[in-house]
Amino acid sequence: MSNALLISAASAPGGNLLFFVFALAACLCAVAVVAAQTVVRMAFWLVLSLGSTAALFFLADADFVGAAQLLIYVGGTLVLLVFGVMLTASGPYLKISTSPGEIVLGSAVALLFLFVVIASISGVNWPAPAVADAGDLQTTAGNTLRPLGLSFLGTRPDLDLADGDQLSPGYLLPFEIVSVHLLVVLIGAAYLARAKRRATGT
Amino acid sequence: MSLDAYLLVGAVLFVCGVICMATKRNGIGVLMGVELVLNGANINFVAFSKYTQLGLDGQIFSLFVIVLAAAEAAVALAIALNFYNNHLTIDVDRASKLKG
Amino acid sequence: MVGETLRNLLLIAWLLPLCGFAVEIFGGFWGSRRSRVAAWLAVGCIATGFVCSASALTIWGNANGWSVLHHAEHHADETAADGHVAHDSVTPPAPETLAAADAHADAAAKPAAEPDAQKPQDSSAAATTAHNDSADHDHQHTAASPAARTVYSGTFYRLATFGSLELSLDYYIDSLTLVMFTMVTFIATCIHLFAIGYMSEELTEEYVDHHAHLRNGHHVHRPGRFYRFFAFLSLFCFSMLGLVLAGNIFQVFIFWELVGICSFLLIGFYTERKSASTAANKAFIMNRVGDFGFLIGLMVVWTYFGTFKFADTVDVDGHVVQAGLFHMLPRAADGNVIINPENGEVQIGAAAANPGNTHKTIPYYLLVVAGLGVFAGCIGKSAQFPLQTWLPDAMEGPTPVSALVHSATMVAAGVYLTGRFYPMFVQEVLLTIAYIGCITAFVAATIAIVATDIKKVLAYSTISQLGYMMLGLGVFGWGAGLFHLVTHAFFKSLMFLCSGSVIYGCHHEQEMPKMGGLWRKMPITAFTMLVGVMAIAGLAVPGLVGPGFGQLFAFSGFHSKDAVVATALAYVQANPAHFLLFILPLITAGITAFYMFRLWFYTFAGTPRDHHVYDHCHESPLIMTGPLLVLSVLAAYCAWGGEQGSLYLLITGDQPAYVSHGIPAVAGALTMPGHDAVHAVHHQAGTYALIAAFSGTFLAWLLYGSGKVDVAEIKRQLGGVHGFLANKWHFDELYDALFMRPTHVVGRFCASIDRLIFDAILHGSAAATVLVAKWDRAFDEKVVDGLVNLLGNATWSAGNSLKVLQTGRLRQYVMFIVAGVVALFGVLLATFPR
Repeated sequence: MSNALLISAASAPGGNLLFFVFALAACLCAVAVVAAQTVVRMAFWLVLSLGSTAALFFLADADFVGAAQLLIYVGGTLVLLVFGVMLTASGPYLKISTSPGEIVLGSAVALLFLFVVIASISGVNWPAPAVADAGDLQTTAGNTLRPLGLSFLGTRPDLDLADGDQLSPGYLLPFEIVSVHLLVVLIGAAYLARAKRRATGT
Repeated sequence: MSLDAYLLVGAVLFVCGVICMATKRNGIGVLMGVELVLNGANINFVAFSKYTQLGLDGQIFSLFVIVLAAAEAAVALAIALNFYNNHLTIDVDRASKLKG
Repeated sequence: MVGETLRNLLLIAWLLPLCGFAVEIFGGFWGSRRSRVAAWLAVGCIATGFVCSASALTIWGNANGWSVLHHAEHHADETAADGHVAHDSVTPPAPETLAAADAHADAAAKPAAEPDAQKPQDSSAAATTAHNDSADHDHQHTAASPAARTVYSGTFYRLATFGSLELSLDYYIDSLTLVMFTMVTFIATCIHLFAIGYMSEELTEEYVDHHAHLRNGHHVHRPGRFYRFFAFLSLFCFSMLGLVLAGNIFQVFIFWELVGICSFLLIGFYTERKSASTAANKAFIMNRVGDFGFLIGLMVVWTYFGTFKFADTVDVDGHVVQAGLFHMLPRAADGNVIINPENGEVQIGAAAANPGNTHKTIPYYLLVVAGLGVFAGCIGKSAQFPLQTWLPDAMEGPTPVSALVHSATMVAAGVYLTGRFYPMFVQEVLLTIAYIGCITAFVAATIAIVATDIKKVLAYSTISQLGYMMLGLGVFGWGAGLFHLVTHAFFKSLMFLCSGSVIYGCHHEQEMPKMGGLWRKMPITAFTMLVGVMAIAGLAVPGLVGPGFGQLFAFSGFHSKDAVVATALAYVQANPAHFLLFILPLITAGITAFYMFRLWFYTFAGTPRDHHVYDHCHESPLIMTGPLLVLSVLAAYCAWGGEQGSLYLLITGDQPAYVSHGIPAVAGALTMPGHDAVHAVHHQAGTYALIAAFSGTFLAWLLYGSGKVDVAEIKRQLGGVHGFLANKWHFDELYDALFMRPTHVVGRFCASIDRLIFDAILHGSAAATVLVAKWDRAFDEKVVDGLVNLLGNATWSAGNSLKVLQTGRLRQYVMFIVAGVVALFGVLLATFPR
């Protein structure tokens, strides 16, 4: 439901407004994450920030990515992080404060970095998509599930449709690699985190 | 909406993540900073997918990033738990064995 | 088939002592110095070797139908056969007995027509026939061709091949090889047994050497070396047998040197005694002088003949691949070497099929050089004039060593090689051999007259007898020389063992003036010694020296010396210019009898001169007297039958074909007496020799036995001569003046050159080097080290200062990354401004 709503909103003139709202939300929540003093609050603001980002994805006609963002990040990763917070937050170390000097220094460097990035964003003349491709994308805008799936399976409907005469390589192999990678990570994480005897000494 | 707006949002998220990583002493906080950085990158990918010739590749890459972020989070959390088990704290400043 | 059996048997006999040596050396006998196991091991090895050798001899004889003994029967009458029977009953252990017995049996069984088959060999065609016959290899000769020579040859193992030079371990088995094998192993067995008794003093953890003094005047104390002695003996037997078995001249050289080193080890057995170590060095160095000539001979042989092998190399089909040395010299039908009259060269390989060497020639003078070179080696090894002086000094070794190494076998190696290499010797070489042997025999005999050390007398006697053998070989008495070699081996080893027994019984007293009358104390030794003395003196009862039991009155030395003297007489009759070759040996025969009986009378007869020695001496134990008795029987009768006896016929069974017929003179050359010529003068020569021997014996009895003549008075009156002889003709002084002093002068001169010039240069360069090295060191320390240290310090301090960056704080690293990226941007913007 919301999917369709957002798609329509993106293509509507009010799309700009929605973009500003969610962009602002994402940025402010991110700043809030930085500013938050406790981990739990950081997690809360992070959820909001990531959610807003998902909305931005929807607005950019990437509905599958947005859905994945919501499902995996907000629903999975963050829950994992909160678990981590709960498992490690004990007594005196719950609130670990940073020295103001460090904060100032870090912020200064980071803002300098932000300035550099913005400078390069504005400095680069980004190539616009070709007209024909843009037209193709318009027809499939907001409905990327099928092209993505086909891409993962090894064909590129967007490019193949556009050129018509040649097949472009898909992402089957990376997909498989990632899946195996995930399996390895799963096992590795389980191994690392498994309950074991408290280390003596240190 | 223009590409630059998206990239600006991505840059803000990225820098926020970096600040997070640089200032948070809590290991989980650092982890959250990393997530923010990855998200900033994701926004860039999606924006390029929409506004440049990158096409679907950008979205596919962002998907990969999301998946790998999840994996990274799992491993990082496992490491954090291990660290906590060993040091009874999550303060990354205590992990200074590699100090020269 | 027979060849393989013979080869394997002799291989066992040859290698067993080597195994014994290895076990004795590495067997851990140094753990217990009181063990006699090593000795019995050595005895077992050599005794087995004897059994193998004797079996091989028997097999060889059976395979050839004892044709060599039949050969005798057309020269001699049936008395030889009777002699065989008697022989049979007298010396059961002797291998010759087996031979004789078989021969006798065969003689009865074979058709009488066979001896007639020999007749054509006497014709002028004999030379070529013999050459063809001797080309056989590992082919068994059937009894149908009794005239054929029976040589088995082949290769054990190929050591290396360098181009056309092939070094291999070959074997060359003929009757001489087999007789030598049997003789060497038998005598060695006896001597091993004797040595068990003689060396028993070494069976102790702490042996006191009364002849070796430390600087503080004390005697040397050392662990006993019983096992080591027997190890060396075994090694020696191995070397000697290898030498005899050798099938090429290079292999002979290898074992020649091995024998030499064993001699060195055994002479220097009491290495703490200065005299012993000096004597060992002397023997070794003197032999090197001869071996130098040997090497020259080898070079000539290889350069011109292209092979070292004695016998032809044949392939499986029996075709001759490479002719052997013995078939390369072309000889005319009369036995003379064929020389191309135009250029004085000798064509090689005309006598046998020789595909590899068809048109090669050798200058005649190089043949002489090759022969003289090889003979020079024999001179050194057999202690011939002028290299004879090492042998008397070699008596520093234990007496069994003297018996085995320096009388019966090793010195015999030179004679053996001369006999073995005989086909390569041309007449100039033979004349040299004859004169050298003649001079040696005479000189050594005269020295022996005045020697007072019992072993020295025997040593000079050995040299003298070796001279006899060389003389015999030189005057074309191939069989006579080698016959004397074998008989001499028996009686000389016997006499050395007897002297060993005396020395053992008298507690290492060797000076004869301190002995006398010992026969009462040691009757067995005295009796066996008397047998040996009579044998070497060549005594026989005139008139009774006939066929049949008359042989009982003629000892082996009589026969063999007779043969030599008779050959010499025949030679002199043919070549009157060389009359000395008969006169000197005849005189020497008398001298031999004189000094040998002098030794016996001095030692065993008369009254004791030193009662201390006399009172303490005793007869040796059975293990020492047993071998004496066995050897005495053989020493007396091994030559049973003389030149019609089995031993002589066995030795000469494979003699070079042209020898027995003699060589007529052509164009001013020498005439070589043939068998018939020798036979003609045999009786006459025998009579002369017997007269000489009896006069010598009588003189000895008169001077030393009867007590009627004052020896000291004679010695005083002949003081000059006595001094001359007692100083061994001043050979040592002569060599000292001729070689050592000039060497010292040259050495001092060279040393001064070294000191004044080379040392100066060396010292100068050394000083310069030191100077340069100092600069170099300064440079190294200041510049190179400075640079390296600077670099190291810089790195270290940089690391030290950068260490603070490595804070270990995760968050700061993030900051660094960010700052780095920003800085990169800054650099980019600065570098590529827009």
